[in-house]
Amino acid sequence: MEAAAELQSIVKTLSGTRVLEGVSLSLARGRVHALVGPGGSGKTLILKTLCTLLPPDDGKVVLFGEQVNFDDQDGLRHLRSRIGVQFQNLALFDFLAVRDNVAFPLEAGTSVRPKVEVDGLVQSILDDVRLHDSGTLEIQELSGGMQRRVAVARAAVSDADLLVFDDPSGGLDPVTTSRIFALIAGIHASRGNTVIIVSHDIDRLARVCSDFHVVDSGQVIFSGTLADGRVHPDMRVRTFLDVPDERP
Amino acid sequence: MNGLRKNAGVLRRVLDLLDHAIALPARPLGRGVLHACEIVGGMSVLQIDILRAMVPPSFDYDETLSQLHKVGVRSLPVVTLTAFFVGALMLIQTGNFVRSTGATAMVGWATGLSIFAEVGPVLIGLMFSGRVGANNTAELGTMTITEQVDALRVLGIDPIRYLVVPRFISMILMLFLLTCIGDLCAIIGAALACQAILGIDIRVFWQGLVQGHLLGEFVMGLVKGTLFGGAVAIVSCHWGLRVQGGAVGVGRSVNNSVVTSAIAIFVVNFLVTTLWM
Repeated sequence: MEAAAELQSIVKTLSGTRVLEGVSLSLARGRVHALVGPGGSGKTLILKTLCTLLPPDDGKVVLFGEQVNFDDQDGLRHLRSRIGVQFQNLALFDFLAVRDNVAFPLEAGTSVRPKVEVDGLVQSILDDVRLHDSGTLEIQELSGGMQRRVAVARAAVSDADLLVFDDPSGGLDPVTTSRIFALIAGIHASRGNTVIIVSHDIDRLARVCSDFHVVDSGQVIFSGTLADGRVHPDMRVRTFLDVPDERP
Repeated sequence: MNGLRKNAGVLRRVLDLLDHAIALPARPLGRGVLHACEIVGGMSVLQIDILRAMVPPSFDYDETLSQLHKVGVRSLPVVTLTAFFVGALMLIQTGNFVRSTGATAMVGWATGLSIFAEVGPVLIGLMFSGRVGANNTAELGTMTITEQVDALRVLGIDPIRYLVVPRFISMILMLFLLTCIGDLCAIIGAALACQAILGIDIRVFWQGLVQGHLLGEFVMGLVKGTLFGGAVAIVSCHWGLRVQGGAVGVGRSVNNSVVTSAIAIFVVNFLVTTLWM
C-alpha cells in the first residue's frame, strides 16, 4: 500500500544525546496508526519529524510521495498545509479566543474560505468536542481538559491529508476520551485521511487504529497489527501491547 | 645521549606548563568570544530574515495595529513622566553650574542640547527596552516553549512575518514618536523647574533654547530613537525565539534581553554621535 508519510533511517542528536537511532516508519495512506511506547522513548520527536518541525541529522523524510527538503521554506509551508497537528503541550494561541483558535487553520491557510463556511465548520467541530457554547471564551478561562478538546478540534477542523494527535486524551475523563476517539474515527471514516495517534490508552487505540508502531529508546521496534504485536518475539513489544496490568 | 634525553624531558615539561598557563585562561575567553559571535550572528540572521519578510510587504496588518497600540500608546504614561522629571533634573544640574558662572542666559541652550542629543533618546530608549523589550521577550519566549511558534509553522504561517515584523515596525515607529513626545515633556519639565526651583525667568530659558539652534541635535536624537527601536526589537525577538528550558529559560532570556538591549543602545548611541559630529 502507498505510504502517506515515511521516515527512513532518521538519526537525531539533541544536546549531545542521540534521541532517535535510525528510526524507520511508514504510514500507509488512508489508515489510522497508533504510535506507542514508554515515556521519553522518542514518540513526540518522531511526530515532530513527520510534521517537518525537526530536521533530522541523517536520514530521509518522505511526505505524500515527496522527499522533504528542509532548506526549502516554501516547499515546507506547502507540505505543512496538508498536515493537522494536535501538540502534546496543546500550543493553543493564548491571544485568541476559542472560536478563533479553531478557525485559525481555515482562515490562515493558503485557500481562503467564506466566513459563513468557516463559522459552520467551527461550530460543527465545537459541537463534536462538547464545547458548543464556549466559542467566545479566552483560552485561559478553560480547564485543562477543555483546552485539550480545543486543540483536538483545531487539528481536525481542516481537510488535512495527515492528522497527527499527540496524546489527545491526556487528562480527560473517560466519557470525553471516548468521544474524542469516536470523533477521530468519524473524521477518518468520512474523509479517508491518514491519522497517527500517540496515546497510552491501548484499549481505546485498539478500537480506532488498524496499525500499531512501538517505539523504545529512540527506535521503532515493531510495526504491524495489534494481534501480531501481542505474539511478537520481542518481549518489549508484547509487554507494551498486551493486557493493561502487565504494561510498564 | 642521556643528557640530551634529560634536556628533552625538561623541555617537554616546560612546554606542558606553558600550555597550561596559556590554555587555562584562554579557554573561557575563547568560549566567551564564540558565544558573543553566536549571539551577534543570530541577531544578524534575524535582521536579514525580517528585511526579507518585509519585501514585498505582506505582514499581518491587524497584528501590527495591535502592537502599535501595545508598544506605543501604553508606553506613553511611563515615557512622559520619566521625561518630565529628567528634563527638570537636567535643568537643575545645568542651572546650578551656569548660575555659579553667571551665564544664566545659556541655561536653555545647555539643557536643550543635553536633552535633545543624549539624555532624552537614551533614557527613553532604556525605559522602552525595560518595559516593551522585556515584555516582548517574555511573550515570544512563552509562545516558543508552549509550542505556539511551532503551531504557527505547521499551519503554514511564517513566524517572522506574523510575529516579528509587526513588532519590528511598531517599535521603530513608536520609539521615534515617543522620543518626540519625550523631548517635549522634558523641555516642559525643565522650563517649569527653571521658574519654580531656580527662580530664573522662564523667558530666559526659552530664549536660550530657541537661539541655541538645536534643530540638528533634535534630529540626531530622533535618528537615535528610531535606531534604538530597531535594536530593541531585534534583541528582544532574538532572545524570545531562542528560549529553551521552560519558565527558568524565559526568565534567563528576559534578563539577557534587557542587558543586551542596554548594551546595544549605548553602542548605537556612540556610533551615531561619532558619525554625526
